[in-house]
Amino acid sequence: MPKAKEISIAPTNPALGPHRTLRRDYPGALVVVEGTDGSGKSTQLYLLKRWLEIGGFRLHFTEWNSSPLIKSATRRGKQRRLLTPTTFSLLHSADFADRCERQILPLLHGGYLVLADRYIYTAFSRDAARGCAPHWLRNLYSFAPVPDITFYFRAPLDVAVNRIVAGRPKLKYYEAGMDLGLSLDRAESFRIFQERILNNYDQMVQSDHFVLMDGTLPVDKLQKQMRKIVEARIDLARFAPGSEA
Amino acid sequence: MKRASGPINAPRGGRRKGGMKKTEAISSRFFGSALPGVKEEDLAGNLFVIEGTDGSGRSTQIALLKEWLELEGFAVETMGLRRSYLVAEDIDTLMAENSITRLTLALMYCTDLYDQLERRILPALRSGLVVLADRYIFTLIARGAVRGIQREYLHGIYELALRPDLTFWLTVGPQAAFDREFKKSHSISYWEAGRDMSLSDDLYQSFVRYQLLVRKEFEQLSLRHGFIEIDGEHPIPVVNRQLRARIAAHLGIRGTRYEPSHALAHLWR
Repeated sequence: MPKAKEISIAPTNPALGPHRTLRRDYPGALVVVEGTDGSGKSTQLYLLKRWLEIGGFRLHFTEWNSSPLIKSATRRGKQRRLLTPTTFSLLHSADFADRCERQILPLLHGGYLVLADRYIYTAFSRDAARGCAPHWLRNLYSFAPVPDITFYFRAPLDVAVNRIVAGRPKLKYYEAGMDLGLSLDRAESFRIFQERILNNYDQMVQSDHFVLMDGTLPVDKLQKQMRKIVEARIDLARFAPGSEA
Repeated sequence: MKRASGPINAPRGGRRKGGMKKTEAISSRFFGSALPGVKEEDLAGNLFVIEGTDGSGRSTQIALLKEWLELEGFAVETMGLRRSYLVAEDIDTLMAENSITRLTLALMYCTDLYDQLERRILPALRSGLVVLADRYIFTLIARGAVRGIQREYLHGIYELALRPDLTFWLTVGPQAAFDREFKKSHSISYWEAGRDMSLSDDLYQSFVRYQLLVRKEFEQLSLRHGFIEIDGEHPIPVVNRQLRARIAAHLGIRGTRYEPSHALAHLWR
């Protein structure tokens, strides 16, 4: 088992107190991708996953907002537009808590390489764009293990927005940030909302040790970079076929 | 009535000790920062909370207080746990399954509370209503804490909640709580006995131990938030008189004479 190291769970907020530190006392590793819609992050994580899968590595892939446990509540809230910034945020945190406690943590302790498409930084950037207080969000998610690598795929606002708007018949109500009353036009509301999110992501690059990836580069070139960084920062042999956790 | 002389809702805005530079304004009507989009000066009404374990007489007292306040000309809204439109049903379902973890459950209860606050209680307070809460964040903090969730974490997630005008804690010993619960439903609920915590195979022992653990948490919360403790083992009219006296003083109601109507007379025992 690798030596446990002390890490801070909320590096931007040291005043949260000593109980917010945890020991990374598991043999697994956690790689997450973050970025606005249309930044190319999901494609890149998919390719990374395929590469590792084909190599036979012991891994698990998890997505934001995918726990079956609270799906009905989220769906009801969204369909009937009952969600406020606070309850929107809390429902997602409950969803994440469920996945964290029942999947991510056990898998990390069981020696898996866990790949996460979006992680707590999605909540930090998006829910803060909705008006939630950043320190409240940091506390809300303080139970989450800190990733070994956080890839931040950054594409300029226009590029990202055009990718999404062109590919989708209709933007969904909350997706477009219509609950914020930014604009009556969905595409315009989406754009303003995404801009806020992008700004919030940018502010976390240093404090949360993001690995900045240029989302405008060709897919294969980006993937090469990503694989190189993963190989350099994670001892993949630990997850290779035949190795035991 | 130990804390009656202390600060009613201390410590105001005292959530953080030292160090932290705040960017969000601290409000006196909220424990920490206000809920997004809420102007506290708009909130005219009052929030009175009654806390206490099952069998402490909370619901009875709330029914009586509601009638009394309506007689005095105050419009009343009530809230409680698992009463939100958004997630109350889901919590019921999740609790019936064994798969839910303590943290997820705590966050679902938190969602339930904020949904009630934002969609029912804040509008009521803007209209100047009196809100009576049959349990509030304190029960949820205590339940989480006895299950090993960090107290500061729990206080943190509830810091957007409204600070009550007064919080009453109806205390009952575990034996009295057990007697009353058993008389009422001829069984002891899974959660009130803390059976998820594997405290004892014996249901009575489990119930007593769980109640004592929760009580310890409430003692800490009482110090921190200035609860008004009332002995819930006293007869219902006696407890009700004490509650009315404090609420009347707070709302500026002069007389506190009250006899329950025919419909509620059965509670007056």
